[in-house]
Amino acid sequence: MSNYVNPQLAPTNRSPRPANKKMRLKESGGLASGLMLAPSIIFLAVCSVYPFIWIFRYITFNYDGIPAHTRYTGLRNFTTMLADTKFWSSVGTTFEYALWKLVFIIPLALVMAVLLNQKLRGSSFFRGVFFMPTVISSSISGMIFTFIFATGNGILNGILQNLGIINQPVGWLTDTAVVMAAVIIMSVWAGFGNYMLYFVTGMTSIPEDVYESSRIDGANGVQTFFKITLPMLAPVLKVVLMLAITGAFKDYEAIMVLTNGGPGTRTNVMFLYIYNLIFGTGANATRQIGYGALLSLVAAVIVGAVTILYNIVAKKLDDVV
Amino acid sequence: MKKRISLLVAMVMALSIIVAAVPAMADKTVITYWSNDRHDEAYMSEVIDKFNAEHDDIEINMVIMTDDFENSILLAIDGGTAPDIVGQAVTIKNMVDYDAVVDLTPYIEKDEEYQKVNDPFNHKYEGLNAIGDAIYWVPSGQRSGVRIEYNKALLEASGFEGIPATLPEYIEMAKKITEDGKANDPVTYGIGFTSSSPFERQLEMMAQVSGVFYYDYANGKFDFTGYKPFLEAGRELVAVAYPDQQGVDNMRAQFAAGAFALWGNASQEAGVFTSQFPITDFEWGVSPVPSLDGEIKGALQVNPNKGYLILKSSKNQDAAWEVVRYLQSEEVLVGYMEGGFDLPITSYIDERVDKSKMGRMGEFSLLDYESVYPAVPTINLLGDDYRTTLWNAIMGYIDIDEAIADLNTRYNQAYDEDVSLGFVRRLVVEDYDPLHPSAGTVTWLEQ
Repeated sequence: MSNYVNPQLAPTNRSPRPANKKMRLKESGGLASGLMLAPSIIFLAVCSVYPFIWIFRYITFNYDGIPAHTRYTGLRNFTTMLADTKFWSSVGTTFEYALWKLVFIIPLALVMAVLLNQKLRGSSFFRGVFFMPTVISSSISGMIFTFIFATGNGILNGILQNLGIINQPVGWLTDTAVVMAAVIIMSVWAGFGNYMLYFVTGMTSIPEDVYESSRIDGANGVQTFFKITLPMLAPVLKVVLMLAITGAFKDYEAIMVLTNGGPGTRTNVMFLYIYNLIFGTGANATRQIGYGALLSLVAAVIVGAVTILYNIVAKKLDDVV
Repeated sequence: MKKRISLLVAMVMALSIIVAAVPAMADKTVITYWSNDRHDEAYMSEVIDKFNAEHDDIEINMVIMTDDFENSILLAIDGGTAPDIVGQAVTIKNMVDYDAVVDLTPYIEKDEEYQKVNDPFNHKYEGLNAIGDAIYWVPSGQRSGVRIEYNKALLEASGFEGIPATLPEYIEMAKKITEDGKANDPVTYGIGFTSSSPFERQLEMMAQVSGVFYYDYANGKFDFTGYKPFLEAGRELVAVAYPDQQGVDNMRAQFAAGAFALWGNASQEAGVFTSQFPITDFEWGVSPVPSLDGEIKGALQVNPNKGYLILKSSKNQDAAWEVVRYLQSEEVLVGYMEGGFDLPITSYIDERVDKSKMGRMGEFSLLDYESVYPAVPTINLLGDDYRTTLWNAIMGYIDIDEAIADLNTRYNQAYDEDVSLGFVRRLVVEDYDPLHPSAGTVTWLEQ
């Protein structure tokens, strides 16, 4: 009978359990982990949890930032919210904006990532060019597109008229029929470079020999994309989609500069409406911090619900695939 | 040894920096002033530089903050970074309720020279610069009511010599100029509107001179009903207007480039169209706004302005007062008015200003029906303000009757609630005369 013992099954020569709790913590690496996590936890608590609690306490108050004006209003903010057609309209506008943005930004980012991953001459240059809008501040993007979309002396109308595509200038920022398209163009321009970079990074982790095998098997470019690239990018795609969804629902800065929610309320997304309420800017005569606090909680619930729904759907798709 | 020498040199250098810096910091009290005006920056910088050169004890540091002014001040007070002095573009009730501003009355009472130049007790406007006996800022001058600035060449090309007295004629004129402008290259338009408070800059003022105001002083309530014909007129004007409504400066630049013929704004345009966007290619004129039927039935609102508030958070309030009395001294104010930045508000300054130096500002001199209106109580309103709502009605985004009904409801509900809770008192002016809004007897009701 052999005396061989599978080393994986053999009892390990473990060191005895440390006597006190402090030593056990040190040995398990808990202390180091705790220390490394501490800055993030502190920042999260100070910058995220505390403001949330701060704003939560005002949801039943009429508060404009001046302590002498503060008064408890019970459920009035809730009843106001239920009847606030402008808020619910802004929620609808947000869904519309997010949907159109996602429809364009994700495929565009993916296609550009695939093209730039071909290791063609100049691909690094274009990668930089497409990523550049991401590092420009949202308000500057808004200002740039104000000049591009101006009706009378705008760059876009000038080009379209010179090419003979339109006879009359289009009111990109004043016509309710087309203003959403202008906003979507701006947000896709500003954001797709970021998602493109995620996809490029994801693609670099796909082993080259898989592509080589597919080539030997005679797969063409389209087949390679749908049968290899896309499935192997699935984990990255899931994360990118989640970031894109939450990002699209929270967008408002560039829209504020470009249209300030107008014309009328056509591009008034919910966080822009809330911002104007809380800071008393835009068309609001007075700051409504209490009511704005309630709406921001409701908006957070809406964004949270959409994200959860997306995760459930993504998980179901995983199971199916 | 080398190390020791290096250390010694570093210590000497550090010490010399400290020694050099201490007298500079200790000698002068720095008074920071946040201005909300950009148009007078060059002149104000010049007088401040002069003050700084002549004073060993105080130095003025002017910072221009034109966006979100009141919020920025309140946030700076909370954050401990507030300036000592701020410009007057704030709601005085909010600042007082926040316990943010110093009552200037004790300083004023002790200063006869200041009283002589600025006549503060005759320019005390309840709810605007004063509450009760306390005065929080004193106007250096005043901005005229809105005027129509017009492109004479475009008017003449369409057969017009000046601005008509009635709103229907004004609309017809805008339509004709736009129609004629289609033949121009580039196309020109009859009228232009900005995206920044467009209702206020023309139609609201036409309503004022027609006797329509949003606050019913006689009965102590808000009433927007009278605006209906002006909203309908606005729809006709917008239909023939320059296609974009951009920021004020962008639209000023378009007017200065000859893109449209009619532009509405107050006396600050005198400086704008002579220095900021100088008009050189055509003659431009200035005219009173038309009324609904040509008859003047109400006063045109003027705004006392260029005042200075001292914040309670300032550690150097006495030094700040010295700065205020310099900025409102005869020397500074006469130069300010002659520079065309404002219109005099006191007869003392008015008599000393050389009108020939005021440039186009002279054409914005006050009309006999211009007046300060009693400040309408500040209420805790939810939703869009009346100017936005009414402009949305003009643009066709909401129905005109619905907009008026909505405003009447929201404004009066908020007012009633604020009065019942004691946050504000109801303002009633007995014997109210729309042509002389400040002449009646002001009464403050608890209900």
